[in-house]
Amino acid sequence: MERELATLEKGAICCAWNYCGLRLAVGFVDGSISIHDSLDSGSSSSAFPSSSSKWKAHASSVLNVVWAPPECGDAIACICNDGTFSLWEETGEDTEHPTWKLCKLFESSGSRVLDLQFGVFSTSLKMVAACSDGYVKVYELLDPLEFNKWQLQAGFQNVIDSVSRFGKVSCSSASIAWNPQKGEGQRCSFVLGFSSDLPQLNSSKVWEFDEAHQRWIPVAELALPGDDSDMVHAVAWAPNIGRPFEVIAVATCKGIAMWHVVLDPESNGRLTTEKVALLPGHDGEVWQLEWDMGGMTLASTGSDGMVRLWQSNINGIWHEHASLDCSGAQS
Amino acid sequence: MPGRPSDPGSEAVVPFSPEFRDPVVYPVHHGVRPPLLRVYVAWSRGSLLHLACLRQPLPEPESEDSVDEGEAGGKVVEVRLRAGEEGISEAHRRRIAYGSVPAFALLQSRKNSLMAMSRMSSSLLHGEWWQHVLEYSKNISELLGTRRLSSNMVIEDPRMVVQPSEEPTSLKAAWELMEIFYVDKQSLTWLPERLVDWSEEYDSLLTRTELTIHSKLVNMQKKLANVKVVEDDPDYWEGMSSALAVGWLDIVVKLLRFHGSYQLDQLDNRETENGLVEAVAVLVSTMPRLRPDPSSGKLGQFCKTRPDFIKAWEKWRGHLSKLERSAFWVQCSHDRTREGLQKLLKIMLGDISNITSATCHWMELLVSHLLYIRQFMVGLEGLNNLAHKCRQLKPTVHYNGLMSLLIGILEESPEVVLAECSKTFGPWMVAHGIELLTAGSDHADILLHEERYSLGGISVEELHRLVYAQILSSHPLTCQIAPTYLASCPKQGIGLLENLLYKQPIQHHQVILKNLEICRLYELDNISVNLMKIAGMYNWKHGRRGFGIYWLQLACDEVRLNRIAQQLFDCIGKSLSDDSFKQWEGLLELLGTQVGSSGGLEFLHKYRDFKRTLKQVEDGRASNAARQAAESLMQLMRSPSTPRQFWLPLLHDSVKLLNWKARPLLSVSEMNLLLNKLQDLSMGKLMLILTAAASLSALCISGRKILNVL
Repeated sequence: MERELATLEKGAICCAWNYCGLRLAVGFVDGSISIHDSLDSGSSSSAFPSSSSKWKAHASSVLNVVWAPPECGDAIACICNDGTFSLWEETGEDTEHPTWKLCKLFESSGSRVLDLQFGVFSTSLKMVAACSDGYVKVYELLDPLEFNKWQLQAGFQNVIDSVSRFGKVSCSSASIAWNPQKGEGQRCSFVLGFSSDLPQLNSSKVWEFDEAHQRWIPVAELALPGDDSDMVHAVAWAPNIGRPFEVIAVATCKGIAMWHVVLDPESNGRLTTEKVALLPGHDGEVWQLEWDMGGMTLASTGSDGMVRLWQSNINGIWHEHASLDCSGAQS
Repeated sequence: MPGRPSDPGSEAVVPFSPEFRDPVVYPVHHGVRPPLLRVYVAWSRGSLLHLACLRQPLPEPESEDSVDEGEAGGKVVEVRLRAGEEGISEAHRRRIAYGSVPAFALLQSRKNSLMAMSRMSSSLLHGEWWQHVLEYSKNISELLGTRRLSSNMVIEDPRMVVQPSEEPTSLKAAWELMEIFYVDKQSLTWLPERLVDWSEEYDSLLTRTELTIHSKLVNMQKKLANVKVVEDDPDYWEGMSSALAVGWLDIVVKLLRFHGSYQLDQLDNRETENGLVEAVAVLVSTMPRLRPDPSSGKLGQFCKTRPDFIKAWEKWRGHLSKLERSAFWVQCSHDRTREGLQKLLKIMLGDISNITSATCHWMELLVSHLLYIRQFMVGLEGLNNLAHKCRQLKPTVHYNGLMSLLIGILEESPEVVLAECSKTFGPWMVAHGIELLTAGSDHADILLHEERYSLGGISVEELHRLVYAQILSSHPLTCQIAPTYLASCPKQGIGLLENLLYKQPIQHHQVILKNLEICRLYELDNISVNLMKIAGMYNWKHGRRGFGIYWLQLACDEVRLNRIAQQLFDCIGKSLSDDSFKQWEGLLELLGTQVGSSGGLEFLHKYRDFKRTLKQVEDGRASNAARQAAESLMQLMRSPSTPRQFWLPLLHDSVKLLNWKARPLLSVSEMNLLLNKLQDLSMGKLMLILTAAASLSALCISGRKILNVL
């Protein structure tokens, strides 16, 4: 059932696959990054051999690596635990010897970046970063050919009431997911949740860019009144291949909640949301949520060492379909 | 507790999974020593999962230990969730997947054209439709395996009664069951006979753990090979009764002819006995059978219509009764023969206790009932009740998938049928079998075609096609047939196809071309544009700039092409060397003149033309080239679109023309224009003056020369 694809070097602390799953970026505790390439994209035996390149990206440990969309070429963002993050891209004079080059280093401005995600749109590429002070920063790529020309488009806190500002906030983690829908007329929106000491910040909120007023507005809050201060561990926005509603999964300490969001804004500009299920999740913290390409199965990983697969049956009832036990000491 | 459904209390409209089973837990053998730092997951192709299990880094001093030396920081594994269904090999499954595409596509196109003709409303179309589905079903069935060879096609072993042929698959057995009950409308008339044929073919699959008539006969056959006087062996008689009970007449007649009384040396002494054996054999082989194909090679008296069948049946039963009451039995001295033959007669006369004892499995008992007791039963009416009774008489400990499917069919429950198809036979069966199911009953048709909000606005049929397409896309060898199934999904197929195409790697030119062809076939213009953009950026960034521009041009990516034009413009403005001229000349050619809203590229093209003629001048060729170069130069200098940054390089180039020995190439006014531009530049920036010093002096000297001449 399982097949080993690669062995990661000692000190590996985080990893991420690119859009087609053939490249794997690995971050290390000593601040380096390595890239593993699959041997052959055409065959079934797409194993990742030893890394094709490895370099020192930061002085201290890598927190997370994130691939940029393929529209930018092959590029990654590397978040370091010292609060900085850097953008790297693979370039080369010929295809045989490409090298990874630093495009831009974003220095820390008093707060640490916790999560970062890229969103690709017909006109531009955006990057949203969630910081430990509860602020969200949205950057825009100015030149589609150059991965180093970014402009800060907006900065705001993850709160519904846009007037309030909260100082002295300490966030331990954040999770961002862009609306994965591509194509013309797509709304520019993402969902974001925090784990912080400020209850107002935590709950997942859907942010949408208002073209008319050129500003980001919170259009939905994915939490019921009693749960709105729960710390959010992970969020994932399901690909929508034709549903009349969006599905967003939000993992908190209470489990994994499935939300239906209807993107036709009502008169007050807010979206209609419905929590359709609360799944038990994992024994412990949920680490990651990943939707399959049809948005029909959600995979979750958690501190119990399990990978759980969740599906909805034909009556729309969500249940655990299968699970993979990675916790054991099998040899 | 993990594994419990989100909302078990809600009323289920369709009991698809009547109860939520605990999820299957698969242990993943990754070889990383616990505790794990973290597990990362990503969906790879289709429904493949990639997992990265990272090991908790040990504190520094410990990691120096020799024990940990060389131990990996983590492992990456690929997990395929759906292992082979029902023992079918991966290669065979792929053959089935490929082979079923033409039949499926043909059926879909027929459906579409029929719908277009009349919106599928009239019953006339319905009548026509099942024939198309039947043809489809036959094609698929053929694909799943050939029929067992009939006895007259092989070199006969006189003692071989059960052919040791290719092991039948449950998948084919299931498919044929669905065809019998749902598609073949004619078969409902001769349903018992279809079931007899089916059970003859697949009896061995009814159960793996318990006895069946097939296994009984196989055992008996082994035994008979070593027995001289078969009629003394009770297994011989028992085997025959069993075979007769389920209507395997060929086997019964063949076995009867093994009877010792047929042997030439015994024929005289056992004349009466042999007469009885032969009489039974004749009655067995003349049993009336309501079936359409007398050419099937089966024994029996074939009747095409029901009245003929009823008439023949009465007559045949009359012969049976007559033989049963015959006085010859008294003269039969061989007890086992007498008893055995009488039992056979009783079975044929429909004696329930004999039939029950002769059969092993409830399905066999059901077939017996249909053959000898309820032989005039029409259609499905009462069949389920009968099956229920048979199950009570012959209880089975474990119902396998095939039997559960049969029960679902008999209970007329499409939900159970679908669930069993999915559970036992996998997504291929569901995606293809739904066509049979919906052709069979209006209830199933409504159930499976109804669009459900809970499924995101799609029908159950579409859901299963999407799931199957996703499974297909998990393997590069079957990935390319996924679009056929997605195209048959009216609501979400194209959306999934778009996502599937977007996730294809673009490093290989062939792969891009193949994907673009799919986009063209399904009119996915926006996706093809996107793929071309991605390919363009990949090539541009990886040193193949020409290819990059080629793809971006195909994608009509104005924004990026403009940026490339701008880059080129800036780069040429800075550099004057001939080497760089060669480099950018090709890119400029590729970019064409249309790109660039500011007209920058148009200028670059003119500049390139000027540089080319100038090159000819330098090579000392044709004096008219010099004249042409001078004209181009003046055009460029006069044009308001010529960027200022190019003035100096142009003035520099003009020196070559001013030094043309044959004759002056520029007029006074043209000369003045050049000098004015130089003056403009010198007033603009001191730096430029310094760098232009050489040009300036050369220009002035040449200018004066010309003016003097004039």
